[in-house]
Amino acid sequence: MEYIIAIFIGLLYSCGVYLVLRRSIVKVILGVFVLSNATNLIIFLSGGITRGGASFIPEGAETVDPATISDPLPQALILTAIVISLGISAYILALKYRYFDVTGTHDLDQLKNTDQR
Amino acid sequence: MILFALLLIPFTYLMLALLIKKAGIKKRLALVFSTLNLLWAMALIPIVQFKEIIVVQMGGWSAPFGISLVADRFSVLMLLVTAFIFFLTTVYATQSVDKARRKNGHFFFTFGILMGVNGSFMAGDLFNLYVWFEVMLMSSFILVSLGGERKQLEGSIKYLILNLISSLFFVAGIGLLYGKLGSLNLADLSQKMELARANLAVLNPALILIFVGFAIKGALFPFFFWLPASYHTPPPAVTALFAGLLTKVGIYSLIRFYTLFLYYDAGFWQQVVLWMGALSMVIGVVAASSQYDFRKILSFHIISQVGYVVIALGFFTEAALTAAIFFLVHNMLSKTNAFLVAGWVHREKGTLNLKVLGDMFKKSPVWGILFFISAFSLAGLPPLSGFFGKYLVLQSGIEAGYTGVALLALFVGLFTLFSMVKIWLEVFWKKQPEDSAMEWPVNQKPAHWMLFSSLALGAAIVAMGLWAAPIAEYCEAAAQDLLNPSKYIEYVLGPS
Repeated sequence: MEYIIAIFIGLLYSCGVYLVLRRSIVKVILGVFVLSNATNLIIFLSGGITRGGASFIPEGAETVDPATISDPLPQALILTAIVISLGISAYILALKYRYFDVTGTHDLDQLKNTDQR
Repeated sequence: MILFALLLIPFTYLMLALLIKKAGIKKRLALVFSTLNLLWAMALIPIVQFKEIIVVQMGGWSAPFGISLVADRFSVLMLLVTAFIFFLTTVYATQSVDKARRKNGHFFFTFGILMGVNGSFMAGDLFNLYVWFEVMLMSSFILVSLGGERKQLEGSIKYLILNLISSLFFVAGIGLLYGKLGSLNLADLSQKMELARANLAVLNPALILIFVGFAIKGALFPFFFWLPASYHTPPPAVTALFAGLLTKVGIYSLIRFYTLFLYYDAGFWQQVVLWMGALSMVIGVVAASSQYDFRKILSFHIISQVGYVVIALGFFTEAALTAAIFFLVHNMLSKTNAFLVAGWVHREKGTLNLKVLGDMFKKSPVWGILFFISAFSLAGLPPLSGFFGKYLVLQSGIEAGYTGVALLALFVGLFTLFSMVKIWLEVFWKKQPEDSAMEWPVNQKPAHWMLFSSLALGAAIVAMGLWAAPIAEYCEAAAQDLLNPSKYIEYVLGPS
């Protein structure tokens, strides 16, 4: 199962990088979304994906076999990361919309005015 | 509580600013809260001298499980300089930033940045560091684009996408590191890494990802392209704040990360850090010398100056870390002040193109002298702070046996001087070319608060040069703590 997810993450990353390298700003933004989802999956995978129970320690128990419970921390991390990327996605789309309003272009090649020459 | 207050002060302002509609009251509140933040940060200095490392466990959970806020001497110094710069740029912004921007939340988002920066300087675990980075970045994304001018929008798209990618690198690295070591607490990770000394190579993918994340945030070669493409687009008060704080947070994290983790594998990382520092130093300064925009020149110099700190980190001796900390503080002050002067020029003339400017010294000798102080402090002329910063870096480099890199730094200093003299001659000294004199309404309103901020920073730069010895002593104590991670571990996790 790990291998399948790992390969899937790799595929997502390559799609994301491909999109980020496109000329259209919308595709670049979509690429960033794909990359951030791939990154969330990395965190998920790093916590181990063995099938475990809920991460509660039963009442009165002194120790619990770690193999029987799942690690809750990566899930909490992903949750935070998803919330952050949601906020940023909303902002970046609004920014793109405004940019299109002002300039009427989707073309990254038109974004040369602030570069160093 | 003592550390938590530095998060609570900006947070309270954010909440209050949401309730208030009037721009005037928001402005006054911003001044009050930034003063409070400055006073609190000042109060931390004697506390940290006494306690050495201040640790606060949030919510009362003990160290590796809960969230810890940690501030050693280095963090507290950074917090103090941040508070100082933040206070002065807030005062500056009351006159420099136009009313529409102030009404639409200029101060709101600068306080967002303050909260993020304060949090990053105190974060005791990696994921928290990431969250504070995001708080800071999110506010800075909005500040870059606030106002919605065409060049601002362009700059912010570049700034946003490259910084998002750096966050992705960082968070992927955190995920992998957690998978390998099962902890996020900096002290706990450092301890675990020491136990796993034998096969550190398995950690390298995660460490490299995190390192790249910091390098993009700190604008190191070859990851700096977002900085000169975006820093000259927002209002000057915003650029000054960014130049003083944002890249420095990346560099602070890099120093923290290096002294806690990377030094275990020093043979590999020292080379990486030295090369990246040296190349940033050279390429930043060479790129700057071909520019003809006041703020673009200064933006490229940020990259170059950050390189000095990073090579000092690469030397990795006590003297070198002392130099790195001293240089970082000097750079934050001088750079911010140079941008503040640029803001004044922009206000008077409406442009920052060197070719059409001129005669500014005649217009106001005080501002001219303030630019002189900050620019020649950046170039490293005695008796200003930059001289001692550079002197310490060079000396420690030669002592550590990296004479080549140290000489390169000296050579870069010459180029810095060239750029600064260029700005000085073109903007302040030469006669304004008559055919290019633009129509720009003469600003009748006095700029006394802007002048006050710049004067205070100029005084700080001179004072840092005059009292370099006591400051360097403090930096040395901070460097000793950095070189002794077991002390950090002991303070955070409790005596083992």
